[in-house]
Amino acid sequence: MARVVIMGGGVSGHTAATFAKKWLGKKHEVVVVTPNSQWNWIPSNIWVGVGEMKKEEVVFPLAPVYKKAKIDYRQALALSIHPEGKADSDTPYITIQYTEEGRVGETEEITYDYLINATGPKLNFDATPGLGNGEGQMGSNTVSVCTADHAEHANHELKEIFEKAKEGKKQKILVGTGHGLCTCQGAAFEYIFNIEHEAKKAGVRDNIDIKWISNESFLGDFGMGGLHMKVGGYVVSSKLFAESLFAERDIPWLIGAHVSKVEEGKAHYELLDGTTGVEEFDFAMLIPPFSGVGLKAYNKNGEDITNTIFAANGFMKVDAKYDAGAYENWKASDWPRTYQNPNHKNIFAVGIAFAPPHLISKPASSVNGTPINPTPPRTGMPAGIIGKAVAHSVCDMIKQGDEAHLHEASMAEMGAACVASAGKGLTTGTAAAMTVYPVVPDFETYPGTGRDTDYTFGEVGLAGHWIKHILHHMFIYKAKLYPGWTLIPE
Amino acid sequence: MIQPIKYYPDNSINVNAGPIRSFKENYNNMLTDIIDTMKEHNLDALSAIQIGYTYQLMVIKENEEYCAYANPRIITQNKPFDSTEESIYFKNHAITVKRYEELSIVYDDKNGDMKTKKIDNKEEASTFQRKVDYLFNTTLLDRLNPNQREQAIKALAGKGIMPDKTDDYCPTFSKKEYFVSVTDKLLFFMFISLLLPLFNISKETLDGWYTYDKFAFLSVIILMISFFFYAQYEAKKYKQCTSCQIGNNIGVMLKRIISSIILTIGSYFILG
Repeated sequence: MARVVIMGGGVSGHTAATFAKKWLGKKHEVVVVTPNSQWNWIPSNIWVGVGEMKKEEVVFPLAPVYKKAKIDYRQALALSIHPEGKADSDTPYITIQYTEEGRVGETEEITYDYLINATGPKLNFDATPGLGNGEGQMGSNTVSVCTADHAEHANHELKEIFEKAKEGKKQKILVGTGHGLCTCQGAAFEYIFNIEHEAKKAGVRDNIDIKWISNESFLGDFGMGGLHMKVGGYVVSSKLFAESLFAERDIPWLIGAHVSKVEEGKAHYELLDGTTGVEEFDFAMLIPPFSGVGLKAYNKNGEDITNTIFAANGFMKVDAKYDAGAYENWKASDWPRTYQNPNHKNIFAVGIAFAPPHLISKPASSVNGTPINPTPPRTGMPAGIIGKAVAHSVCDMIKQGDEAHLHEASMAEMGAACVASAGKGLTTGTAAAMTVYPVVPDFETYPGTGRDTDYTFGEVGLAGHWIKHILHHMFIYKAKLYPGWTLIPE
Repeated sequence: MIQPIKYYPDNSINVNAGPIRSFKENYNNMLTDIIDTMKEHNLDALSAIQIGYTYQLMVIKENEEYCAYANPRIITQNKPFDSTEESIYFKNHAITVKRYEELSIVYDDKNGDMKTKKIDNKEEASTFQRKVDYLFNTTLLDRLNPNQREQAIKALAGKGIMPDKTDDYCPTFSKKEYFVSVTDKLLFFMFISLLLPLFNISKETLDGWYTYDKFAFLSVIILMISFFFYAQYEAKKYKQCTSCQIGNNIGVMLKRIISSIILTIGSYFILG
């Protein structure tokens, strides 16, 4: 019997665990270690953040699902990896610390034959002074929609702003990225338009100024260097599309911005052109930058080998080309295909947990030398596809031996679809549905643009909103492993 | 080398230009071609995409000097104004769009080093914005609202510059709208028929309207099913039509079918 341990139960980890168990059956053991007791469909958090959904609608308890699937579920935080075992044993293991009620703080070693790192990101609020509380958590100056709890809190704060606006008090809302190296612009993009939509519905839009702040060098970059959109029958760039959306809703923007410090009611920023400024706000939702979760790695002798397994940003090294050098040398082939750790063939990293070889967008720094560019998105559809591919590889290795052919899911050969909400409502909702192929531009295959323009497109409208709503129910259905769940694509 | 300039309605210009990644021989050749073409046509500015290079490079003639801007980005923009502009792409047909007078820009110079620049005069700022637009798949027409755009297209046609009729693009008006239009009219009269009992109208007349409602209900179903299949045909015919339009088409169809069912049920209880 082989044991597969999956650290993390988000989109990629849950996908990997559930498919691995389905393919391996009773003969082998699948263990999931995640500090969370609930699974969260993160794309719908923005609706919780404006009160259009309750937290309970975007989360569900993991324990009954894993019990049904016969997956060994440990509600615990993974602390360290010991790929060579320890002095008296060659069996690799990880150490975990329980977060489950009644076992909080209890530690345990779990041995593994295969390890999948799907820990996702650490929300690195403290990278920006004042954005965090100095202890790794969100501070009190801003809100976030990165987790369901954060989103619930954001909605509570937002409603207070709406109440003040109803009393005739002018309010200022700032939404965007809280650091020059953030990813996930899409979540902030959706949130700002949902706030605007709700403010209109509440009849308080006239008393609320809303502003966008982002580290993108142009609106519509989305961390992918932009894409095409089909709007009203015409093909337009995501730049024009985004600019139009903001202009039509009377939302001014600040781009190429690194938020350097946050104080109560104030965000200090530096722009790519080197200028600095302060943006005042009554309510701010600023996405934090991501980093690795801080896992440590030790060799057989107990010596720290974290640097050989993880990149400097804390994400795990996989089969990517990390020494590609200057921007001009970057290639699509630099991106990982199998997500296997180069030093330990039984360790994989999926979703946000793998270290990307470099950015997708053009790298940029301000004239003062501050890096200001979106980091590569690795969430959503790619995370699910990668999780499934790695589960397939691990299952094949268990059944056929370590020389089994590994399954590949390169983001440079993978298309992705994304639906970005711009307001919720059965008849008044709006969303932009986009597809991009490939996710990582391939400048050798598609000179100039890096993408296949026949497969990179989008459309905005009510149908997009319905699609997003349908996807919400579909993916929660799939994650709950209801009948036919394997038929629903990632 | 002088390169042929692309003129409206050549839609090969409708593509996001990629970033310049290397500032070596290819870059220099492209830059030379742009400048040669500008000199040949006596142009003050030209984007690489206008001569078929899908790269983010543009050249603006400033004080007799040809200044290259690679990977240009407009970081801040202030003081909006209406700018009446001509572009060689539209054979110098004037179109008025909204621009900003004050810009703060960043770009890469010929060595690939990032530079910054402030622009604070209308002419230079509008030229810069127009050329950046080309690099992001945006022409003057894309800066107009749908009505202004239709008018501009008609005005261009009046000058003998006709929109390209290729199968690649969805038409601005689709024949599938005829299905929707007829259906909406049928539904409107179905709705009106429900109000008739409020007036002193004979039973025979009401019976006639009830018969109309039944036929209209069937017609709506048939029309909407036909609409869907025709829309699917158009989606395949025009390559650039996206799969998302299938969602829109289903929405259009369902909305009207549900309305017809509700109205028919109402008709059954009120007129039947």
